[in-house]
Amino acid sequence: MAVSRIAEVIASSTREILAEVCKGEEAPAFGSWVEVEREDGTVLYALVSHAEVGSVEPGRQAVALGMDRATLRTEMPQLAELIRTTFRAQVLAWWDGHTRRDGQPVLRQTLPPQPAGLHDPVVACGHETVAALGAPWDFLRTLARHPDPAVPADDLLVAVLSGVYRASGQGEEGRRALLNAGRALSRLLDDDHERLQSILRRVA
Amino acid sequence: MLDFHHLVGQLHDFQAYRRAEDERHAARLARALDALVRCSPGWETLCADVQAEAEQAGSRSKPLRGLPYSAPDGCHPCGERPTPVTVVATDGSQIYPDRHVEPACYLLNIARVALHYGTEEPVVLVAEPDLRFRQRDLDDLDPGGEDARLDVTAEVVSALRDELELRWLFETAYEERRPARPLVAMADGTLIRWMLRGMKHRALEDRLVDRYLAQLERFREEGIPVCSYVSRPANTEVVNLLRFYLGEDDERPEEDSLRGLLDRHVFERVLAPGQRSAVFASGSKILERYGDAHHIGYFYVRLPHEVARVELPHWVTEQPGVVDLVHAVVLDQCEKGGGYPIALTEAHERAVVRAQEKEIFYRILERQMRGAGLAVGMGSGKTFSKRAPRV
Repeated sequence: MAVSRIAEVIASSTREILAEVCKGEEAPAFGSWVEVEREDGTVLYALVSHAEVGSVEPGRQAVALGMDRATLRTEMPQLAELIRTTFRAQVLAWWDGHTRRDGQPVLRQTLPPQPAGLHDPVVACGHETVAALGAPWDFLRTLARHPDPAVPADDLLVAVLSGVYRASGQGEEGRRALLNAGRALSRLLDDDHERLQSILRRVA
Repeated sequence: MLDFHHLVGQLHDFQAYRRAEDERHAARLARALDALVRCSPGWETLCADVQAEAEQAGSRSKPLRGLPYSAPDGCHPCGERPTPVTVVATDGSQIYPDRHVEPACYLLNIARVALHYGTEEPVVLVAEPDLRFRQRDLDDLDPGGEDARLDVTAEVVSALRDELELRWLFETAYEERRPARPLVAMADGTLIRWMLRGMKHRALEDRLVDRYLAQLERFREEGIPVCSYVSRPANTEVVNLLRFYLGEDDERPEEDSLRGLLDRHVFERVLAPGQRSAVFASGSKILERYGDAHHIGYFYVRLPHEVARVELPHWVTEQPGVVDLVHAVVLDQCEKGGGYPIALTEAHERAVVRAQEKEIFYRILERQMRGAGLAVGMGSGKTFSKRAPRV
């Protein structure tokens, strides 16, 4: 499957990447999976945990212009060049780039040995990869126990589970995947049923 | 330490002086406004008289006087800006040669902007650094070869930057021009190269002016309207014209002389918001080298926060409707940019080399030299101590 880059890494650690969305591309959805292939072939899988739109230069602040969208595009054409969308994604799994079982890449749900390189391309994960990032749900542990302090952890979990449901076809199989994930999550949340219920209620 | 006790009295004197100055300024301004109205009906004769004075004076220096192409008290309202229209601008900055770095090198960073209003065509917003260090780059500037080597002074670097700004302005306008769509190319600052005089190297000065003119000529050949924007202009050419009309003595100005008044003070009172003045031909001496087609003229335009000066070559002012086009574009640009043309602001933002970037530039240069096993010619202890002061 041909995949095109949607963003480029502009800050990187083993725990997370910060990426700038390429011109003309849509930012990946909150709670969706993205992947980065390092130069050595290792592939990192990360969950989008925060996105923001702002000025390219830190010193410049937007001011209200009182124009409609069409006028903005034709009369302030430079704005598009001054604005960028960036997102943070938590690195939660990786693949060494060659190990396969039954032809499928063996993904390890833990932090990678090396961070992504700066300017590495970021692509959105396909349904197959998202489905593969399921059982044994170890990444949920990292997500639930060591959340990004700037992100409401439960909302991110809601988004992730919704993604699992969609990637598994939304039907019976989707419900089954959701049930498995729910079980794993229940254990991680120390059987805090109210919290689990609140998360599952919001999955769609 | 400041002795405020002592200072109080002096500040008081300053305040009194300031008040008296304000009164004198108001009187001068009233006199100038009156003269502007009175001289206008006979402006053509006035121009002829000024020219006769200049011919008589020969090389004796006289105040520079602007000559109007129409009634000097004219106020021209702004027409509608056409849509679509393309606005092109450039701005540059530099890293001057550091005398501790051998051989001398300097960097020019020129930003180019092209905005296609009324369309959704992609914009141009780029800056390209140009590191220069070869002596032969300068050979062309020193045809006489009277000095064995031409020193790369800050003045020379500034002149080369201005030249490159104008060259890129033309290139960008040429590339971004669309059939049947009006375009205005806007430079920052003045088009009059008066600052080149004073290098104490006549051949070099002439060479630099000629090269600048060669760039201006390219605009004319292609029929691309070029202008420049001067914020807070300090010119006095129109005031000097009024002084001539009032018969003021240039050597021994009278008590009520208009001296000290600036053109923009006058036009702040004459022009309503959005209006422009008549176009004046500059009396700057260096323009003798420009020739008739490129002789720089200017008009003043009243913006919400200031009166700015817009300069343009004579051939541009002769194109039907082009002065109005420039007027409308400048006004729209300043509205969009909150008081300053937005294309120039964006160009400046990209061109500027910040102090920190300059530091990084020298650090990279130093590291590369070391890496290549070259002596780091940044020798003097002074620069090092300046970059890392010790406690």
